[in-house]
Amino acid sequence: MIVTSLIRAFHFALQGFWRNIWLSVVTVIILVLTLFSVSMVGGVNVVAREVVSSIENKIDVSVYFNPDVDQQEIQNIQYRFESLRSVDNVTLVSKEEAERRFRERHVNDPEIIQSLDELEENPLGATLVIKAKNIEDYPLILEMLEDPDYAELIENSNFDDNQVITDRLSDIASRVQRIGMLVTGVFVLISILIIFNTIRITIYTHREEIGIMKLVGASNWFIRFPFVLESILYAFIAVLFSMALLYPFVHVVSPYIATLFEGYDFNLLQYFTSHLLSIMLLQLVIAMGLSVISSAVAVGKYLKV
Amino acid sequence: MISFRGVSKIYPPNVTALKDVDLVIQPGEFVSIVGQSGTGKTTLAKLIIAEQRPTRGKVVIGDWDITNIKAGEIPILRRQIGVVFQDFKLLPRKTLFENVAFALEVAGMQRKRIATIVPQVLKIVGLEGKMDRFPREVSGGEQQRAVIARALVHRPKILVADEPTGNLDAINAHDIIELLRKINEFGTTIVLVTHNREIVNMLHKRVVTIDQGMVISDQKTGRYLL
Repeated sequence: MIVTSLIRAFHFALQGFWRNIWLSVVTVIILVLTLFSVSMVGGVNVVAREVVSSIENKIDVSVYFNPDVDQQEIQNIQYRFESLRSVDNVTLVSKEEAERRFRERHVNDPEIIQSLDELEENPLGATLVIKAKNIEDYPLILEMLEDPDYAELIENSNFDDNQVITDRLSDIASRVQRIGMLVTGVFVLISILIIFNTIRITIYTHREEIGIMKLVGASNWFIRFPFVLESILYAFIAVLFSMALLYPFVHVVSPYIATLFEGYDFNLLQYFTSHLLSIMLLQLVIAMGLSVISSAVAVGKYLKV
Repeated sequence: MISFRGVSKIYPPNVTALKDVDLVIQPGEFVSIVGQSGTGKTTLAKLIIAEQRPTRGKVVIGDWDITNIKAGEIPILRRQIGVVFQDFKLLPRKTLFENVAFALEVAGMQRKRIATIVPQVLKIVGLEGKMDRFPREVSGGEQQRAVIARALVHRPKILVADEPTGNLDAINAHDIIELLRKINEFGTTIVLVTHNREIVNMLHKRVVTIDQGMVISDQKTGRYLL
């Protein structure tokens, strides 16, 4: 009997969808537009976050050691920084590597190369490139570098030059994040209300039918389930259409976004493709979840006959 | 058997629809409940199908005291009582066949049996050629026949008809009453709520007259009094 009732519920849901095709189409269109707008806001958020983080990734602190500092001592400092929680990674550029890079950089400048050749010893010291996990962690790292024990070892560090920029960037990053969350929050709230109301209005048009079904002896479950299934169907179709709209949209927009990221490793289309499944799942969960709740609640309102 | 014992129904805030009604309807009877509009006839019908509950008193259907029936038991009660309404109450998105079948589907009957029974019942009410039509595609009389078919299809022992001819012309009204009479001859108890004088007088069956919520007359083969 349960199987028969389940099959009937599916049959009624499909029948209801088809026999009210215009109402179904309008409901699906509203859901598609809602999902599409939320996804767009989400996309803008992703782009803003990526802009900030890609710039953040370019920031590091280079610590230039005096040429006569012992390799072992540099390694100890490297280990010390590596053990810090706020440090993402520390790369050691040896004296030899520093020289090789110097030569590479000045390959078209024979005078500099010649003067370097004339020197008996390599004048360049080793360098430690320290990358923090978060942009806010650099002041702490810098403070440690100012330790008097290091003063004799370190020739120079480049962080001071970047400090103003990093401070501003850190400020922008947190603002972008806050504004992004706020806008997304508002949009999600609006979407919830739209989906909730759309499904409620759809059910409202069937309120008399629900009453009649009750009067001829249908149980609440028998009435409610096909409506819930029908709204799941709306949500499912809406997600498919919204994804079908999003893909060409991202395809068109991606090259323009790419110009923002010149020199950085970010491609919106690639991001969208690699996150396709999770975006779709998220849309399905949101749309279906809201549809199920709103239809179940709305039907319940008319079941009291 | 349908039994009302000291039944009163008061709608909020303070509208008395029925007052101390005592009434017993025996199995197989054809009873007309008559009275002017707003006297409580429809409330009486609604109490039988538990669409309303009495404020005071006791309502029993068969051996089942439905005075304080639980919400979950109401569908079970309604599957045993056929109901015909003045405004038909057919499901607009379903064909006549599907409307009648729905009454069996809610009870979990298998598709094959439904496919056999429904055309037979639709034939009895004279709708064999219009099974695949939607309610909006047939006349009022035909819609009411479909409603009777739906009310009959699960072979109820009781059929409650609330102003079944209210929206029909004289010829269709006469046909519907004849149909109800035939159904009664097969043993189904009929409770006909009406204010149609001609129909009541034509039937020569039991007539219960209600006025201002009270039973003022109960005649075995009565006429319309008011």
